[in-house]
Amino acid sequence: MLLINNLSFSRNKNIIFENLNLSLSNQSITQIRGKNGSGKTTLLQVILNILESETGEIFWKGKNVKKNIFNFYNETTFIMDHNTCTKKLSVMDNINFWRGLSSSKLTNNQILLLLETFNLQKYQNTKTMYLSSGEIKKLELLRLILEQKKLWILDEPYNHLDDLSIKILNQTFIDHKKKDGVILFTSHLNPNIDNLEVVNF
Amino acid sequence: MTLIKKILLFLKRESKLFYSNIVDLFSNILFFFLSIFVFVFSLGADQELLRTIGLGIIWSLLLLSSTLSLRKFYEDDFNNGVLTIIHMGGISYELIVFLKILSHFFFVQMPFLASIPIASLFFDLPVNEVYNLIFTFIIGSLILSCLSSISASMNLLNKTNFAIGSIVVLLFSIPVIIFSVGINNPDINVNSLINLLIGIALIFLGISPWSSAAFIKLALRNK
Repeated sequence: MLLINNLSFSRNKNIIFENLNLSLSNQSITQIRGKNGSGKTTLLQVILNILESETGEIFWKGKNVKKNIFNFYNETTFIMDHNTCTKKLSVMDNINFWRGLSSSKLTNNQILLLLETFNLQKYQNTKTMYLSSGEIKKLELLRLILEQKKLWILDEPYNHLDDLSIKILNQTFIDHKKKDGVILFTSHLNPNIDNLEVVNF
Repeated sequence: MTLIKKILLFLKRESKLFYSNIVDLFSNILFFFLSIFVFVFSLGADQELLRTIGLGIIWSLLLLSSTLSLRKFYEDDFNNGVLTIIHMGGISYELIVFLKILSHFFFVQMPFLASIPIASLFFDLPVNEVYNLIFTFIIGSLILSCLSSISASMNLLNKTNFAIGSIVVLLFSIPVIIFSVGINNPDINVNSLINLLIGIALIFLGISPWSSAAFIKLALRNK
């Protein structure tokens, strides 16, 4: 599904990674594990073409990502290590914006159910600036289900989450994998997920 | 069809953000009026003098007031990654910039239209000059929105010296001021000045999406 070929990236003459090869197949969950500052976030940004690699190519479903960038984005949800919700807008405003942007087919009732699962239903009309870091992270992770994309790329998804939310997230990963999904995430933690493929960075 | 829906969604979000930041707009308008008071009180009660230089002062203060909101243009959306998310939603950076310019024009510049007739009262400007001022402001403010976009995107690359963005706006807006204020000169053909202003606006509307998008892409790579 996602093939990374001979990828190299350096910043200010410091080599961040060199000749990296990675292959993600259907129904797989891959973790890029490494200590702080090892370049995990940079790798994700290079995969998503936010940063430009020095050498190497990335293919999604056999097509070069750079040449078909919007097709690639159309099938990808990217959760950053920081929150991308607009703090001056309410929870529902943010959700409606993401829903429209990804042309999601989820109904209002399904969204309310999702908010209930993540224990956010009481904050529907609250501006996100008044939510705690954990609640904002959960709201951010809602995008995974909201956008209904095949490839999930997540940067440190476990940050700020409590034990229950981590369990829900792991279960969400497993459910997506069963639906033929592909998941790539970075973390310095050791999450408890069966058949997790780990790439040490 | 999907792209049109996304564009409308983007503009809806901008309008919501505008209403949540409405205090900023009021402070810009307050700055505009307070500066006018400073000029009126410092120049004294010479009605003829006020009438002669009034148009130039109003235009200069409109320009300075619009530079106050420069920082809000891209900074928040850039820092929290919303620009990347919108881009991943299928909207190119060039289109994002164009839509940002349009929303800045409608939500930041256009509210000043209401304050122009009131400001004109302090300088005792004749009605035809007020009409000309409003007309040139509509075209000139579009140019200012384009300039603001370019300088705000340049500021993403330079986080230490915010003044550079304002300097760029002030420097490139000199022709706008010259042609806008010159419209009330009886020796000059009004139509030719308006055509010139429209020409400048179209040039900047063509240039700014590409230049701002290039600065944003560069800033993302240096983030």
